[in-house]
Amino acid sequence: MIRRLPRNSLVMAVIALVICSLAPLKASWLDFAVMAGIFSLISLSAGLSYGQAGILSMAQGAFAAVGAYVTAFFGTRLGWPTLPVLALALILPALLAYCVARGVTRMAPLATALASLALANLVEIIAKSWDSVTGGYIGIAGIAPVPGFARPALFNILVWSFVVIAIIVYESVMQSAHGRALNVVRHDRTRAIADGVAVAPLLSSMLALSAAMAGAAGWLYVHYVTYISPQSLDTGVSISALLMAVVGGASYILGPVLGTVLLSLLVKFLPAAEAQGLFYGGALVIILVVARNGILGGLERFRPRSDKERAPHVPHVPAEARATSSAPSQHEEPKREAVPLSSEPGAP
Amino acid sequence: MIEYILRGLLNGAVYALLALPMSLLFSTAGTIDFAVGGYALLAAAVASTVSGPLGLAAGLAAGVAASAIMALVFALLKRAGEAGIRIALASFGLSVALSSFVLLVWGTQPFVRSTYSTFLEVFGLRVSPQGLINLVIALVLVGGVQLLLLRTGLGRMLRAAAASPLAAELAGIAVLPLQCATVLAGGLLSGVAGLLIVYSSGLDFTASLSLTFIGFAAAIVFGIKSPIRSLLGGFAIGIIEALSAGYTSGLVTAMVPAVCILVFLIAAQLLAPNYTGDRP
Repeated sequence: MIRRLPRNSLVMAVIALVICSLAPLKASWLDFAVMAGIFSLISLSAGLSYGQAGILSMAQGAFAAVGAYVTAFFGTRLGWPTLPVLALALILPALLAYCVARGVTRMAPLATALASLALANLVEIIAKSWDSVTGGYIGIAGIAPVPGFARPALFNILVWSFVVIAIIVYESVMQSAHGRALNVVRHDRTRAIADGVAVAPLLSSMLALSAAMAGAAGWLYVHYVTYISPQSLDTGVSISALLMAVVGGASYILGPVLGTVLLSLLVKFLPAAEAQGLFYGGALVIILVVARNGILGGLERFRPRSDKERAPHVPHVPAEARATSSAPSQHEEPKREAVPLSSEPGAP
Repeated sequence: MIEYILRGLLNGAVYALLALPMSLLFSTAGTIDFAVGGYALLAAAVASTVSGPLGLAAGLAAGVAASAIMALVFALLKRAGEAGIRIALASFGLSVALSSFVLLVWGTQPFVRSTYSTFLEVFGLRVSPQGLINLVIALVLVGGVQLLLLRTGLGRMLRAAAASPLAAELAGIAVLPLQCATVLAGGLLSGVAGLLIVYSSGLDFTASLSLTFIGFAAAIVFGIKSPIRSLLGGFAIGIIEALSAGYTSGLVTAMVPAVCILVFLIAAQLLAPNYTGDRP
């Protein structure tokens, strides 16, 4: 297969350049841009795990919290230098995710969702009660900014270059053999097993990669806010990350970033902080029902067909088209039988 | 020791009521409903505002109404041909929305109401009468569901849908309405659980996810397939929780449901066959 142009990475680099050059014009814009960048990383991690690997992980906020606590503890309490702390903030969430995913679930979808929620719950309880390390309910304050990036404008550039790097890694993974295997798994897990794809290790390492992304977001978050407590990156963050990914289009590489920027703008107009959960939860339900492929999925419909793989509900169209034009091959037989029986009326 | 076990049994009866919807929905529809704790919370909140026996009915109605939203979403998603995981995500969204709604309307006040201040002495053990009421209600409901599943035509249809939705559809059973009815029944059952919790230990707006959690833990202890197992699972979780509350720190007690879920998932994985396919 010929390597395609890394389109998404180029687009993201341009967007990041625009944001970084516009944001310093106003202090409030700058703050918005930094937070949007950090949350983009978390929702990108949710998009990678949910949109590509089909893992419903409710622990992305918890992974970010682990990254943030690692930074706060090793960087501030123990005074380690910046780069080793960043490495640790990437590795520790990834390791945690991989161990839970491999050890607990063998990546059955619902079991994984449950296990990730249990993990998030445990992380929150530990953050609240392990006073000597996490500071308990009060948390850890007074974290120094990243050396050399103390000015908000510079830090903004750092944040968005993290986002660009994450997109580059994401896109190159999706274009590699692993990414193609992942596509097979998403469409038909049994087929993937038959093809010799090691499904559980593949999905677990994808979850680990997404946890590392979230850990990086936690590292950035705690350096920017200079403060971390159990409430900073909790289950609410996980759900808003999922929502942002789903709104933008979880199965598109740039979808989560788009969703994050849009929703962060929208949330600014909310009347009360208490209503945030109502907004996020309600919006998630509505988006899932109304526009299941998100905004980018909606745009895709208006575009002429490209060589990109289409959404998972389309594939029986080519099968039917082939059935009318030529003799159906052996292994398509059960699929054609199954179409009229399923309860969806819209089969063309 | 025996007192802790007894207390655990009485608490566990309520957990069984939370586990029952999970078990029913997982068997008939192959999905999980994260909003079960949300229904219980909403029922509790409404019931503690409206006074008297009318409050109980209003609470139950609120729980069922909330689950009706879920049933609608469920039907729409199923009709679009979605897999269980997206429904689970939607129910998670609903759960967050419900607890935020309760926070918005009722604030951070705890919902608790105690009916009995005296304790019964049974064989030298102090037992709260409310605990006994919880136990009786849970036993009646679990027994009722079990009878419904095994003895009635509706139950036979439910079991058929659980065994194979496609075959059930071919046999003329309306599977989708049945599954939606299961979601509604889940709202009713967890509404009852929410009311019982108001009258025993109380809860506040943060309880939604932890209730869901306890329900899951109880549902998967002994396998998710039958109401009796949910009851036993509820008892088991209740006893583990009561024992850890008695003998260890609050930290361990708070961790019980999450750790139980992880441990049971590991155990289930050890017992599961090595290769499983999505298609039969």
